[in-house]
Amino acid sequence: MEQVQVSVTVNGIRYARAVEPRRLLSDFIRHDLGLTGTHVGCEQGVCGMCTVLIDGQTARTCLTFAVQADGVEITTVEALGTPAKMHPLQRAFWEKHGLQCGYCTPAMLLTAVELLNSNPNPTRDEICEAMSAILCRCTGYQTIVDAVESAAGAMKGEAR
Amino acid sequence: MKPAPFQYVRPSSVSDALAALARYRDDAKVLAGGQSLIALMNLRLVKPAVLVDINRLSDIAYIREENGTVAIGALTRQSAVESSGVIARQCPLMAEAIRFVAHRPIRNRGTVGGNLAHADPTSELPAVAVALDATFVARSTDGQRAISAADFFVGLLSSALASKELLTEMRIPIWPAGQGWSFMEVSPRAGDYALVGVAATLQVQEGICQAARLVYSGVGVRPARVAAAEQMLLGGPANEATFRAAGEVAAGQVDPSSDFHATGDYRRDLVRVLTRRALMRALDRCKKGA
Amino acid sequence: MSAPPVKEHPTDLRWIGQSMKRVEDPRLLTGRGKYIDDLTAPHVAHAAVLRSPHAHARIRKIDASKARALPGVLLVITGAEAAEQTGPLPCFANPPVAQRCIAVDRVRHVGEAVAAVVAESRYIAEDAVDLIEVEYDPLPVVVNPEDALTSSGDAVLHPERGPNNIAHQRTLTFGGYDEDLRSADVIVRRRVRWPRSGAQPMETVGAIASYDEGTGKITIHANTSMYNYVGWLVAASLQIPAHKLNIIPTIAGGSFGSKIFTHKVLVLAATLARACGRPVKYIEDRLDNMTSCDNHGSDRIYELELGLKRDGTMLAFGMKVIDDYGAYLQFGVGHHGNAAAQLTGPYRIKSARINLTAVFTNKCQQGAYRGFGSEVNNFALERIVDAAAGELGMSPVEIRAKNFIRPDQFPYKIPTGNVYDSGNYQAVLDKALEMADYHGWRLRQDEARAQGRYIGIGLASCQERSVFSSTEFWFWNHEPGFALTSSPESVNIKVDPTGKAFVTLYSPFWGNSPETMATQIVAEQLTIDPADIEITYADTDHGSMGTGPGGSRYTVMIAGAIAGAATEIKRKLFKIAAHFLEASERDLELREGRVAVRGTDRGMTIPEIALQAYYFRLSLPDDCNSGLDARFTYDHPYTTQPNADRTDLGVFYPIMGHMCHIPIVEVDIETGQVKYLKYVAVHDCGTVVNPMTLAGHVRGGTVQGIGSTMYEHFYYGEQGQLVTANFADYLIPTLKEAPPNIEVGHVVTPSPFTEYGIKGGGEGGRMGVPPALASAIEDALKPFGVKIDTLPITPMTIRDMIRAAQQGVH
Repeated sequence: MEQVQVSVTVNGIRYARAVEPRRLLSDFIRHDLGLTGTHVGCEQGVCGMCTVLIDGQTARTCLTFAVQADGVEITTVEALGTPAKMHPLQRAFWEKHGLQCGYCTPAMLLTAVELLNSNPNPTRDEICEAMSAILCRCTGYQTIVDAVESAAGAMKGEAR
Repeated sequence: MKPAPFQYVRPSSVSDALAALARYRDDAKVLAGGQSLIALMNLRLVKPAVLVDINRLSDIAYIREENGTVAIGALTRQSAVESSGVIARQCPLMAEAIRFVAHRPIRNRGTVGGNLAHADPTSELPAVAVALDATFVARSTDGQRAISAADFFVGLLSSALASKELLTEMRIPIWPAGQGWSFMEVSPRAGDYALVGVAATLQVQEGICQAARLVYSGVGVRPARVAAAEQMLLGGPANEATFRAAGEVAAGQVDPSSDFHATGDYRRDLVRVLTRRALMRALDRCKKGA
Repeated sequence: MSAPPVKEHPTDLRWIGQSMKRVEDPRLLTGRGKYIDDLTAPHVAHAAVLRSPHAHARIRKIDASKARALPGVLLVITGAEAAEQTGPLPCFANPPVAQRCIAVDRVRHVGEAVAAVVAESRYIAEDAVDLIEVEYDPLPVVVNPEDALTSSGDAVLHPERGPNNIAHQRTLTFGGYDEDLRSADVIVRRRVRWPRSGAQPMETVGAIASYDEGTGKITIHANTSMYNYVGWLVAASLQIPAHKLNIIPTIAGGSFGSKIFTHKVLVLAATLARACGRPVKYIEDRLDNMTSCDNHGSDRIYELELGLKRDGTMLAFGMKVIDDYGAYLQFGVGHHGNAAAQLTGPYRIKSARINLTAVFTNKCQQGAYRGFGSEVNNFALERIVDAAAGELGMSPVEIRAKNFIRPDQFPYKIPTGNVYDSGNYQAVLDKALEMADYHGWRLRQDEARAQGRYIGIGLASCQERSVFSSTEFWFWNHEPGFALTSSPESVNIKVDPTGKAFVTLYSPFWGNSPETMATQIVAEQLTIDPADIEITYADTDHGSMGTGPGGSRYTVMIAGAIAGAATEIKRKLFKIAAHFLEASERDLELREGRVAVRGTDRGMTIPEIALQAYYFRLSLPDDCNSGLDARFTYDHPYTTQPNADRTDLGVFYPIMGHMCHIPIVEVDIETGQVKYLKYVAVHDCGTVVNPMTLAGHVRGGTVQGIGSTMYEHFYYGEQGQLVTANFADYLIPTLKEAPPNIEVGHVVTPSPFTEYGIKGGGEGGRMGVPPALASAIEDALKPFGVKIDTLPITPMTIRDMIRAAQQGVH
């Protein structure tokens, strides 16, 4: 099976790899690059666990081949922050109990990043619309919306 | 659920893409956004021997107003349609419908051409295309042809495209001034494929219906335009009673099959209700536009 | 064992009751949690499974030659080949039902494993799966549980058990049931259908197994629970001595019961690793999980009867229930033991009867799903209570208030023999009515009806039992079998020379908050700062008994274990401090991490005592050894044996929470779609350790309950095909299907039997949502006379019911 060269920037670091054309971007990020913060739930594009930002826009990595990522910039959850230095969204999810098992959390965070980048002042309805792209089985969603709302407020405050 | 192996071809021009399709014919599938195709491939329901990745063909990603039409390149991402000022002004039915397509991440990658060529009768854009009398441009190594939306959707997941043809553009006539519109659908959950959807347009003058389009998704193997319901509106008063009657006619004209998610009877109920509600909303927009 | 003494609970609590941010979160928030698929092993190989397309068939022939020849394939193994080294899977039923990690001779449900492949990648393994050729001889398929009662011949799934597909049949009667029915003025009857849905966490089940030739030991990393309870059963299946197996837990991305004991995946992965000589990683994909994870929920048909006096006093509650267990019986009929814990709900019903028939059908077997069968009983009971209210012309509020067990009647023994420790059901109802503005909404409902709008107000008062006793697994059996009576939880606390507390748990993280619970409780017990506490998890090599999360038991049990271990530690702290301070232990107190003589400032901090304890043996009291750690195994605080004829099942689930849900909905009668106008959920889980995390279980459980009530169904077609086998067809609620604001209220009736009076609350809203929502929708459609007895309540079924009512057909 012939391999194809892929050059992709992930979290600011450029990687050059040879991959099988059928290798899913989710597997590439997780196993070839060792960035396991992006999760896999269905491999059918429904649940959203595998969400990353491709050139700033959310995308389901289980519905993308790694070869299609040649030349793009990918952001995964690992870029957002560390326990010592969390992104305001991570802090807000922590404060508002926006997670229980944590499996959907990276996808929720990146979806919120996309939303707040284009709309720093969303209404609660707009937050619900954006966040409804990702399934969560633990929280019942309400505290996730609370967290995004709270983060939006905090980020506006910090931007000033 | 990993896809089966395939040969990967990534042309950098439309002519290279056409050459590849001519070479591989039925062995090849076009990879655009991949949001429908890759899901099927992961389930191994589809195992193309060759994938022709057209994502480098930036020449066919555009939204343009020209000569009384709106031209949308096939590789235009659905999210670009969603945020396009041209579409909002010149094709508000599409602007409304596109928000029902799955979720934002799917629309970020999914393309207009890919969605149309996939020809899923529960999908939003095919119904919209038929309602707008859109024309599609199909190109191949033999040349180019135009296919009307009415002729494009042939059967379940089956379009009029030959295996060597590439859909490159969708053309929509400029929006008639004062025309009202509405796209509505009922789906099991937010973002799911519709059980039934309706794409409706309406033109009204002095309270009398002058023109209408009613096209339904989810009631057959292709988008269903119900001319009988459109006809009965013409010359009649634009009000709820008329629209209710149109809904009855439409429900009687369609013959939806039953599956796990919905019975034929329930789909008919939805046709009835959505017709009336969509026409009421379209009327409201006529008035606002006038 | 009689009732334990009533505990006095401390009132000035520093950490318990705080909505502390979770200890688990920082690593999860930053994508640094290590779930099973995030781990690897040197030279790891990957497995994929060939699954049966037939619901019932003999396996005539398997030709794996093409698969074996594919480059990158290390091993292809059939069920017969696996059976040469691996025995049947663990089974809690008695008599057990043989199940294999790969089917031998015949398959009994679509999705059952027929062969497994190990290859260099999952991609290649799946390519090889496609190349395996299997010849099947189809057998008759049984899908309808009522048909299973009369199956015969080749339609019988387990012929060695008997001539039909009845897995278990028994009737239990509690109290003077027949007599009570005879004295009833009214007997209300209802048929209710609860079809199977399932946990479906976002993460599937997985394992990495490896065999070390140097030590002869198999090690399995897995996202399972119960490894420190019955993990040795996996060794038994693998036919190795128990001490030659080590199971190492990982965190899990949700479970809700589905990962309670994932024996099949562990046994399969270990069998493959042993056979191919390399570590093997097997992660279920979503199709594997939905068809074959062994986690489908209860699947029941009830014929119910409730006998009452004309004034609404409930006398007797009985049922004939058929439960479709699918193809195997891994947990026996334990789900019905569970239901018996709160069979008669919060009401003073005097007697009961359960006529239970469990059947085999050609479906995936049932497992454990949040509620473990008692949520289904809640649904059945609340539906018939509503039916009775309707027949007697009473309001749903009236009939409940009239029959509630009163606060002064606790501990209260229900007809089945279980005891409810404490409660105040009227207070919970009152609070819910107030929060919901129930009477205001009744007025709005009338106005809306006049305008042709259909608003419905639902109500359910349900028990949420917590802390199961293991007797529920076997007291239904005709022969008890392994009649275990232990279901403990252990903890190890080590205070190190610098005064830091290392707390080792023997059960896993599922999304419940074991680390946070343990941190808050240890901080409370030892008066130290949460920042000085480190939580770790032990494998089976190092583990003491831990039954794990399930049945809302974990927080109660870990609190008891921590209290036990902390008591030991405090005893040593005081002993050493008394010695150094030359004071009497009676005069010492522990406060803010310091043992001091009361009323003075003479004292020693915990780090100071610890340093002495570790290194200065000759300065310690003579009868003190070096070190400062304690391990404690805490048993169920109150459980007793059933009696011989099972007219009294004993005490097995006494820590009794309660909830009242009031959903207010509007139904679009033209499309059948339902919208939430308000949602109130009041819960009584005794003393609450962390109100924020408890509210998380209430809300999350509520949305899961909405899933089972309105959207989710493992639907098998006539030929046993699982029609809803993927996330596109099996409809898990998205954000937009959830009520926008679930208003959570609390009432607290502490348990007299647990540490701090804590009661379990982890099963949360799911226990009460289905009847609450069913009653809300029924209430909205009252003008049509619609009765809801089946789930899921989809817009289509609502339209069907309205259409039928409008056409005068019922």
